[in-house]
Amino acid sequence: MEKGQISPLQMAMLLFPTIVATAILSVPSTTAKYAPHDLWMTPIFSSVTGFVTVLLAFKLHQLYPKQTVIQFSEKILGKFFGKFISLFILLYYIKSTGEIVRDYSEFIISSFLFKTPMVVITSTMILLCAMAVRSGIEVLGRLAQLFFPLFVIPLFILILLLIPNYNLGNIFPILEHGIGPPLKGSIILSGWFAEFFIITFLIPFLVDTQKGIKYGLFTVLSVMMTLVLVNLTVLFVLGITTSSKVYPLMNVGRYISYADFFENLESVIMAVWIVGAFIKISLFYYVVVLATAQWLNLSNSKLIIWPSAIIIVEFSFWAIPSTMKYQGYQIVVLPPIDLLIQIIIPFLLLFVALFKNWKKKKVHTSTG
Amino acid sequence: MINVRWGVFFLVAGLIVVIILFQWPKIKQAPKKDKWALFILFFIAWGLSLFNLQYIEGPNSILEKLLDPTFGKFMKK
Repeated sequence: MEKGQISPLQMAMLLFPTIVATAILSVPSTTAKYAPHDLWMTPIFSSVTGFVTVLLAFKLHQLYPKQTVIQFSEKILGKFFGKFISLFILLYYIKSTGEIVRDYSEFIISSFLFKTPMVVITSTMILLCAMAVRSGIEVLGRLAQLFFPLFVIPLFILILLLIPNYNLGNIFPILEHGIGPPLKGSIILSGWFAEFFIITFLIPFLVDTQKGIKYGLFTVLSVMMTLVLVNLTVLFVLGITTSSKVYPLMNVGRYISYADFFENLESVIMAVWIVGAFIKISLFYYVVVLATAQWLNLSNSKLIIWPSAIIIVEFSFWAIPSTMKYQGYQIVVLPPIDLLIQIIIPFLLLFVALFKNWKKKKVHTSTG
Repeated sequence: MINVRWGVFFLVAGLIVVIILFQWPKIKQAPKKDKWALFILFFIAWGLSLFNLQYIEGPNSILEKLLDPTFGKFMKK
């Protein structure tokens, strides 16, 4: 079905913007509602989820090499239950892709293109991503490699340029109400780190699986450090008003002003974010197409790219009447569902698979 | 009474026709199973466009109703 291969480095470069792109924009303000002064700690706690997910995905791949979760869940649980569980995973990925597209167009509309209808922004992005997905995983990997510096370097330059605006006192008091509030805030962010489970669709196409584990864990670490840095920047500049902003990093970008000339750098943030969102949507879209094809045992996944595009656009509108409602979902619905589909179900799959192996060995030794 | 937005409905129908026309050489060669899957997916997409999606119940709003009394309450406290 898919014959392309990617290097572990390309996988890391695909994953990094996939997680960071949406996590740097709106998440600081959501976590700041729980831990106003300690929001910088939340990525550290929630990165545990990321490490666990990556290890889970690689362990499962070790037991069932060259297969994705859609394929091996059938081997582990039997045809009926396997198909049932993988249908849930597939639907989850369709829903997630719709939400990411929504996130993207919500941001563009509220910050820059106020009068453009949302469906125009959504469908143009999906059209672009469909072209990338059509070309397969190898092209996605190369695209990520190409765009990675464009995504990372402006972000760090921005953080450096903001240094004169830092008010280091904003960080105090540390742990004013104990460890509870930052832990609660990190529940929301752990949904993002759980997205690392998407690695399970990339591992089968890796050139070197052993190196892949190292790169996977390293990506989690670098995502965690980037988020800590971004959260600290936002906190140092905005202080406890962070929670009242929808996109704190955008507000922070407006603070940069050198010689009355070098200003309005929020447009840089937008550019960075569009690059990141493009990679994120492409990867999720690719996974949707691949998972659908594998679930239906199709011979070629390319054919279903276009109907998937229409369905994804529809999911980006389904039951989301307003931005407020969507932000409510991000707190109430997304964290438990993200963790259920991407950590608890894989963990149960691994448990059953290990149990099956153990039983097989036992039978083997008792008969042999 | 479900409020059907006929404009969107026919727009999606037109889109599907255009896609099928452009992809026809590929669709013709595909195995029967692939063809079925493709047309069922198109049908789902077309069916969803019948509804005023933003304002009807969807996966997220149903999950919210399920989770709000337990997890939602914990997070909003």
